[in-house]
Amino acid sequence: MASDEDLVGRLAQGDESALAELLKRHERGLSSFLYRHTGGRDVEDLYQETWVRVVRHAGRFDRERRFSTWLFQIALNLARDWRRRPPPEASEAEPVDPAPSELARAEAQHDAARLLQRLPEAQREVVMLRFYHDMSEEQMAEILQCPRGTVKSRLHHGLAKLADLAAEEGA
Amino acid sequence: MSESELQRALARRLGEHAEECGECRAAPLPLGELSRVLARQVVVVDAVGLSRRVAAALRPELARLASVWFWRRFGRGVLAALLPLPAIVALDAWLLSFVHEWAAAWLPEALVTYLVVSYGALLVLLFAATYAAIPLALAREAWGRSVARLEATA
Repeated sequence: MASDEDLVGRLAQGDESALAELLKRHERGLSSFLYRHTGGRDVEDLYQETWVRVVRHAGRFDRERRFSTWLFQIALNLARDWRRRPPPEASEAEPVDPAPSELARAEAQHDAARLLQRLPEAQREVVMLRFYHDMSEEQMAEILQCPRGTVKSRLHHGLAKLADLAAEEGA
Repeated sequence: MSESELQRALARRLGEHAEECGECRAAPLPLGELSRVLARQVVVVDAVGLSRRVAAALRPELARLASVWFWRRFGRGVLAALLPLPAIVALDAWLLSFVHEWAAAWLPEALVTYLVVSYGALLVLLFAATYAAIPLALAREAWGRSVARLEATA
């Protein structure tokens, strides 16, 4: 089976099957990362823009690097830019009432998302990458372009803050 | 991944972190509570649908990249083949004149001319075949790639 790095080499030559394989391997991880980072908003746009950048820069990809690290670095930069944009104007569409069980589940999820959103951005990013995407400290340091010690410290403080927030809200 | 599977995975990762983290060892965190909180955020996103739309949107860009790659390779192949050509032509011309001179001492002029011209024509034919093979080889490779692509999308 071809490695991700080999597939990027083929992608730079315009190989559609290489793109299909890379999409298949990373679609779940990348889309859920973007979903969690943005709270589910504009995921499609960010997902597409991430892959557009991967295709455009595939020729310059350093094959010594891990593809997943590069992919998440691109996605993270796009998600950060997205967060800096001003919020869109409120829609006038009427919200649809979900069923009670769906409502309870949605509220629970909303609580978890809200707690994560209350973390400082730097801490939230390491918590997401480490615990939802099982990334090593080394990979996170490369993605976030900071020393490994900083990642370690952010991780601990992020978890401690999350525990405090959960206790505070009785979650 | 279901919520319970996610919670188990999160508990394992949190446990690994707690073992490695000096600060966590000094002041333990409520890992069970943290895994429960983090597991609540289940992602609802149609990743396969997103990928399908991305693949469709990127098709023109990939076609452009494939074209650029083909012509770049073609140019490099032709250049690599043309670089030694002057030296080869000079060597063959010298060889033909030497053979002509040497054979003229022994054989009739008409026969020598016939032999040298035949040999020269054969060389020209071999050159033409060699240089024609460059675009043919590239076209064959491009054909193989498009067949593989069709098989992958079928």
